[in-house]
Amino acid sequence: MQKELNPLKAPAGTRIALMGNEAIARGAIESGTYVITGYPGTPSSEVLMTIHEFGKGLDLYAEWAVNERVAFEIALGAAIGGARALVTMKAPGANVASDPILSAAYSGVDGGLVLLIADDPGPITTQTEQDSRWFAELSKLPMLTPSNPQEAKDFVIVAHELSEKLKLPVILRTTTRVNHTVAPVVTGDIRPPCKYVNFVRDPPRYVRAGMAWNRERHAWLLGQLSKVEEELAGFRVNRVEGSGTRCVVAEGVGYEYVIEGLERLKLRDKVKVIKLGQIYPLPKEFLRHALNSCEKVLVVEELDPYLEGKIKELAYESGLKLKIVGKMEGLLPEVGELGVNPVVDALKRFLNLSLQVETSISPLAAPPRPPPLCPSCPHRNTYLGLIFGILKAGYRREEVPIFGDIGCYALSVNPPLNAIWTEHSMGASIGMAMGLKLSGFKGPVVATIGDSTFFHAGLPALAEAIHKRVDMLVLILDNEVVAMTGHQSTLTWGRTEMGRPTKPLKIEEIVRGMGADNVAIVNPYDIDKLVATVKEYLRKPGVNVIIARAPCALHAARLYGVQKRYTVIPEKCKECMACIKITGCPALYIGEDHKVHIMIEDCLGCGLCAKYCPFDAIVEVKSNE
Amino acid sequence: MSEVVNILIASVGGQGGLTLSRVIALAAVADGKSVRTGETLGMAQRFGSVVSYVRVGKEVHAPMFGYGEAHAILGLELIEVSRNLHYLSNGASLFTADELKPPISSSLGIADNPRKADLIKEICSKARKVKGKVYVVSAKELAAKLGNPRAMNMIVLGAFNREFKILSDSAIEKAITQLLPGKKGETSIKAYYVGKSLNIVPIC
Ligand code: SF4
Ligand code: SF4
Repeated sequence: MQKELNPLKAPAGTRIALMGNEAIARGAIESGTYVITGYPGTPSSEVLMTIHEFGKGLDLYAEWAVNERVAFEIALGAAIGGARALVTMKAPGANVASDPILSAAYSGVDGGLVLLIADDPGPITTQTEQDSRWFAELSKLPMLTPSNPQEAKDFVIVAHELSEKLKLPVILRTTTRVNHTVAPVVTGDIRPPCKYVNFVRDPPRYVRAGMAWNRERHAWLLGQLSKVEEELAGFRVNRVEGSGTRCVVAEGVGYEYVIEGLERLKLRDKVKVIKLGQIYPLPKEFLRHALNSCEKVLVVEELDPYLEGKIKELAYESGLKLKIVGKMEGLLPEVGELGVNPVVDALKRFLNLSLQVETSISPLAAPPRPPPLCPSCPHRNTYLGLIFGILKAGYRREEVPIFGDIGCYALSVNPPLNAIWTEHSMGASIGMAMGLKLSGFKGPVVATIGDSTFFHAGLPALAEAIHKRVDMLVLILDNEVVAMTGHQSTLTWGRTEMGRPTKPLKIEEIVRGMGADNVAIVNPYDIDKLVATVKEYLRKPGVNVIIARAPCALHAARLYGVQKRYTVIPEKCKECMACIKITGCPALYIGEDHKVHIMIEDCLGCGLCAKYCPFDAIVEVKSNE
Repeated sequence: MSEVVNILIASVGGQGGLTLSRVIALAAVADGKSVRTGETLGMAQRFGSVVSYVRVGKEVHAPMFGYGEAHAILGLELIEVSRNLHYLSNGASLFTADELKPPISSSLGIADNPRKADLIKEICSKARKVKGKVYVVSAKELAAKLGNPRAMNMIVLGAFNREFKILSDSAIEKAITQLLPGKKGETSIKAYYVGKSLNIVPIC
């Protein structure tokens, strides 16, 4: 790739179209970040993925970690020695890492430490609409929120500068529409990587076992926070646009909607827009000044009315006579993401403009298309094997709860599999199955968990279940990759994305070492063997583990091509629909001739539909792609 | 036409809708324009409904637009097009592949399994309400002739740019080469020109 097209290596002053996360990766390089780590999670994953794709040969450490808390601890360890570090995670990951994050506010850092937390209003791919701005308050760590990819890049550099000035980790908080938006970005200078400088023993700072030290550090932390606004003054992360007595306070992508909305209403120069990039602690001096000439204020923000509450508090304590409105008054919704239209409506109500409703046509009622398990996905076989095994063992399906976990396999909740009963948080399947069982549930319980999720948070839960002798079947769906977030490495790889040689861990050795009563490794494409093993293990007491191991079909197809595909012989198809009803494979569809057909370019050749066609209507065709 | 062109790309995950939006964004920047895209990445990528918002103009801020605001819809699949018709603005144009990929909900009998001809007819009657023009191209067939049915996204791009002329050919070539190096890119560039040279007329 030509150098000017490589987002990480392009010279300063290049204008390129970058996705927000690519811009953050570029910001990491420009700021001389030496350690970059995290755990995959939409919408944060592309930061590390960009470095993996374009950063070969750069002098840095850029690797996934087993989970967010370990990732944060790695970044912290680097930063207390003076290196610059960046750690990335989605919002629920910040909850996982919260313990070391809160303590890090007391010890502080010497090298810059930037913590990227990506929220997901909508939600588009996340279990909750968590507003991580509260996390800044909770952890007492400074927080910046960018509005677009250019700012996302620039704020990485600002955050590092601030972090080193105040010796505090700094949170860069984004939302999906910043992380995943592509926009023009102008690159800046690249500084050489900031590596280890020195680390000296300093127990009051780094040992949290002394309560007097903790009080002392808490006081120090508050002192540092009081300097944030002053330290940031030169970076213009907060600014005022336009003038007037009617003011809008906005942050994040909400700011972009406000500008777009005001342009649409032709009021851009008649309304004062107060844009905040510094979210915590609130830039009180700046705001007091900016709000001084305002009579009415509308606060535009995604998720919770966080800023709205803070600004009302500020107005009260500063004696500013202002009418402040936002979500609390119902001008904007608290649920779901914002967009130009809701912001325009809020602006109209705020400015007492007529609320003429713009009409659009209605869409056609289209059949729903939620994401299914991919064609040839081994998880389809695993859940089918589990379901048939439950039936073979003499149970009805509704008698055996299947606890699910986070990963592609959660898609098994949809028809026709209708498999998992729960999907809660990383690693929760095993603990929840245990809790139900020990509370008096009579039948067998099953926990299903993916390989990466197992390493992330399943290990302690499995240790607990084995130790307490609670009977259960644990199915570890090992597809040898973090599939859902875009095929990242797991601890079973022998070499990471950056080419770093690693020691591959073996799941079977770990679970045997923990003391699981029975352990089997089954290839889920050998579905009969899987059914037999499930049947056997469901009836045996103890914690029994089946490792269902086969590579992610999509990943394998991308790496090695497709060797065979299947097709339907129309004359033989009796329209019984067994293939569709059993597999639910998205490559199968019913044609206008009422027979089943296979979308040939989508079929990845698992042969599952052919196995269950009672009329041998589905046959293999060779393919060399 | 207003200063910003709003384009909605409707596709099924895996069809190349995201590549299409990225090519437009890269080409717009190569042409010195401003651009914003809003995408759904992650789990919805694979065989689920995918919508990308692309906005090209002199000064663009928001990554998305609302219902009734698309100047063009680029469709890679007819059901996904029909799902997003409410984005059409008055006088908008719709360029779609004549591809139909019924979802599992249709195959399982949970939802309708629409026929291609009926679907196109219904899309037309809806589009007519906003005085929209509908162009249907046999994109997959044309791309398959070039050796890669997956290049259908670039056929649709060609058909669109022939009418809208918002991107220069050289910028599109540059964008495709940057995104898809090697053989894939060459086929995609050919596909773009095939799409652009189609003498298509709106079917309604
Ligand atoms: S062989 Fe059948 S079940 Fe397997 S991917 Fe192809 S169509 Fe789907
Ligand atoms: S299982 Fe065989 S006979 Fe039955 S619908 Fe499918 S292809 Fe046709």
